[in-house]
Amino acid sequence: MTDEELAKDLGPLAALTIGVGTMIGAGIFVLPQQAYSIAGPAVALSFVVGGVVSIFTALSASELGTAMPKAGGSYYYVNHALGPLFGSIAGMGNWMGLAFASAFYVIGFGDFLASVVSIPAIQLGVLSLSSVQVGAFIAGLLFIGINYVGAKETGALQVVIVLLLVAILTVFSVLGFLQADLSTLRPFAPSELGGYGAVLPGTALVFVSFLGFAKITTVAEEIKNPGRNLPLAVVGSVLIVTTMYAILMVVMAAVKPWQALAADGADPVVEVAQLSFEAALGLGGVGAGLIIFGGLLATASSANASILASSRINFAMGRDKLITPWLNEIHPRFATPYRSTAVTGLIILFLIGIGDIKILAKAGSALHLIVYGLLNLALIVMRESDAPEYEPEFTVPLYPITPILGAVFSFGLIRFLEPIEIALSFGFVGFGVLWYLVYARGKTEKRGILSKYVLSRSDAMPDAAVSAASTVQPDGGYRVMVPLANPESEHDLVSLGGAVAKAHGGTLVGIHIVQVPDQTALESAREEYDFSEADQLLEQARLDADELGVDIETHTVLSHRSFEEVFDAAESYGADLVVMGWGTDSHGAPGRAESAFEEMSRTLPYDVLVLKDRGFDPSSVLVPTAGGPDSDLSASIASVLREFCGAEVTLLHVADETQEGEAFLRKWADDHGLGDAELTVETGDVETAIENHADDASLLVIGATERGLLSRLVRGTLVMDVIDDVGCSVLLAERSRTRSLRERLFG
Amino acid sequence: MTEHVEPLFLRPLLPLANETDAERTCEVALPRIAAAGGRASVVHVIEKAGGAPDKASVEQREAVADRVFDICRRATDEAGIDLHTDLRFDTDVGDSILAAADDIDATAIVFTPRGGRSWWDLFSGAVRKRLVRDSDRPVVVLPAPDADATADEERET
Repeated sequence: MTDEELAKDLGPLAALTIGVGTMIGAGIFVLPQQAYSIAGPAVALSFVVGGVVSIFTALSASELGTAMPKAGGSYYYVNHALGPLFGSIAGMGNWMGLAFASAFYVIGFGDFLASVVSIPAIQLGVLSLSSVQVGAFIAGLLFIGINYVGAKETGALQVVIVLLLVAILTVFSVLGFLQADLSTLRPFAPSELGGYGAVLPGTALVFVSFLGFAKITTVAEEIKNPGRNLPLAVVGSVLIVTTMYAILMVVMAAVKPWQALAADGADPVVEVAQLSFEAALGLGGVGAGLIIFGGLLATASSANASILASSRINFAMGRDKLITPWLNEIHPRFATPYRSTAVTGLIILFLIGIGDIKILAKAGSALHLIVYGLLNLALIVMRESDAPEYEPEFTVPLYPITPILGAVFSFGLIRFLEPIEIALSFGFVGFGVLWYLVYARGKTEKRGILSKYVLSRSDAMPDAAVSAASTVQPDGGYRVMVPLANPESEHDLVSLGGAVAKAHGGTLVGIHIVQVPDQTALESAREEYDFSEADQLLEQARLDADELGVDIETHTVLSHRSFEEVFDAAESYGADLVVMGWGTDSHGAPGRAESAFEEMSRTLPYDVLVLKDRGFDPSSVLVPTAGGPDSDLSASIASVLREFCGAEVTLLHVADETQEGEAFLRKWADDHGLGDAELTVETGDVETAIENHADDASLLVIGATERGLLSRLVRGTLVMDVIDDVGCSVLLAERSRTRSLRERLFG
Repeated sequence: MTEHVEPLFLRPLLPLANETDAERTCEVALPRIAAAGGRASVVHVIEKAGGAPDKASVEQREAVADRVFDICRRATDEAGIDLHTDLRFDTDVGDSILAAADDIDATAIVFTPRGGRSWWDLFSGAVRKRLVRDSDRPVVVLPAPDADATADEERET
């Protein structure tokens, strides 16, 4: 077996039990009394509606999961597609939603515990805890402790627990069915509760029972053959629990009138179990005992899975720099994400103090509904933006109807919560936004597919969308990426990139691309390759950057491609400027994936400087200009070199008529803050003029007057005699752009 | 007839659990490997739950492995020793280390004690016991570089 296969060891049954095990706990063991008091027997329909709302989102989650089997699940998809602003909302929402849900499960556990052993209530000054809360507190500490220390046995128990629960509930519903009296069910939707109008408010309450299916996606990276098993587990678990819930709710209300089940202090499942086991087998006590045992197992497994899932979401958020990496340290001994577990644990213990299971359940649901709604939108964005790397193995049926309904239902169900709960969930959205603006925006570099899409088509999109997309861009500081290929050019590129980074108070990002043959997996290359050369190169870059007093981060990038990878790396490291060398051995032989360059030259999202290095010496810089946006970049590079490298700048303009040319150049120089540079105006042939003046210069800076310069450079079709004819180093500058093809042709 | 005996530090396997372990073990083991003219092999095992969700994300654990191997790479570069790294996924860390030793025909399995209070052994002492008891090749325990400081630090944490 390969390592890849060993790392993925969750089979379809294990994946299914994560979903079923989390969901089965709450709805049936904890909520029935409150559920019947809202909608009577018709609450069975509330569960069916909950299942329908979930199934659309489950289908969307399956598609996203097979396309991106990464730790973090829902949060990851939203952040990836909609960008870090919505990512912050979804991440915080999902995390807090899990904390609320966990507190709810743990209180349910405490409730069952208190019915078996007597637990004292505690009164500490203003803090008063009922015996249920005390039981919950102890249980909470236990579950958090297990996850902190990380006993792998708990995971293996999950399958056993779920099978046991399904068996107990099946026996329970069969015996209940034997005692059922259909007349007890009438009226199915009691008018005193608002008839069928009470179904949707009922769904809002019991939706917490459906929060398990998306947890499967948080461990998607560990699932064997995710293309098949992930959708099977996600969709399958929703279908299984919806069916079970609906049957059980009908059976219970047929055994005992709903008024009795909904009475204060009633414990419907235990009472009905006692009745039916007594009548069928004469074993009422065993029935009640089995249900209490089942309730303990179910709430424990739900809480455990939720705590585990929350650390995955923390990790995924940390990976995107939306939260501090401190939280995601791995414990040196237990190999667990102990800090994340502890922080989530503290939040859960705090929420147990609130104590009201209705509020906890609905707050947990509201937060998850927001995440689910965003998840459906993420799917639509992924499909519409046509991102080339998006290749789901499973696709939702009836696109776009499925994700649209998923989003509408998820957001719509929030309406049926109490105002206080709606306010609470909006509060968390506000918190997510605030978190992004105050903390995450300056750190994260990742951009969403949506904003790339909007910004890359800025002519076709409404102005408001474009300006909205650009104002919430991550800023992460000004970042200059320098792809380093060999020790000869390293120093020159780092000096040049460093000067620009310094001028912007930004960071230098040194990357070294190691090309791996197609037949070698990147993972195994990472283990087997010798990186000493790469390490030396990057170490030297760090030393050079230190000398310049510029912050630097370095990365070794493994890729099956070489040159093309530069552009992917620039995207993923959030570069504002790429400074690269150009020579025979700089970045391997380019030219395989021309389509990638076509794409790139259409929407170059960062500035690029290409250095034809003949010994980097910025003492005397020649900048030929004819105006235009690309010469703006040449001008700003020239002023950086003047300020940080003591360069003498000469501006050259070739005009038809000297006087007119002088006027133009004077104005241009003043506009670009280069008024005190030496100005030269020539007439005649442009290339000859440049070549003549280049003789006295040490560096020639040329703005790319032609669009697509880079892609032509890459393909080797660029013929610019000047570059070859002059004796000094040449710097080609191409500005970033987000203009469309049409605009470039005609604008 | 005399059996040919290879030096212990010719092809030793260093099982490394985390970054600190990597630093300490390299510090004490590499000079000995260099003296024997040997090559260093390091193995890091990611414990899998085997059919249940893991304690931490696999990607998160791989990041730790990367850092562990980086530390070794720097240390071996400095010492001028060849390095072989091995990342394994297994439900049993002890088994996996023994298998790694077999694969390279290691001359010894070398580690430094990680200290800690004895009740913690309940969770993590099993690997050490397994190696000492079941290995069919020499197991060498090297004193941690600053044994006193280690003990103090462990007591504080």
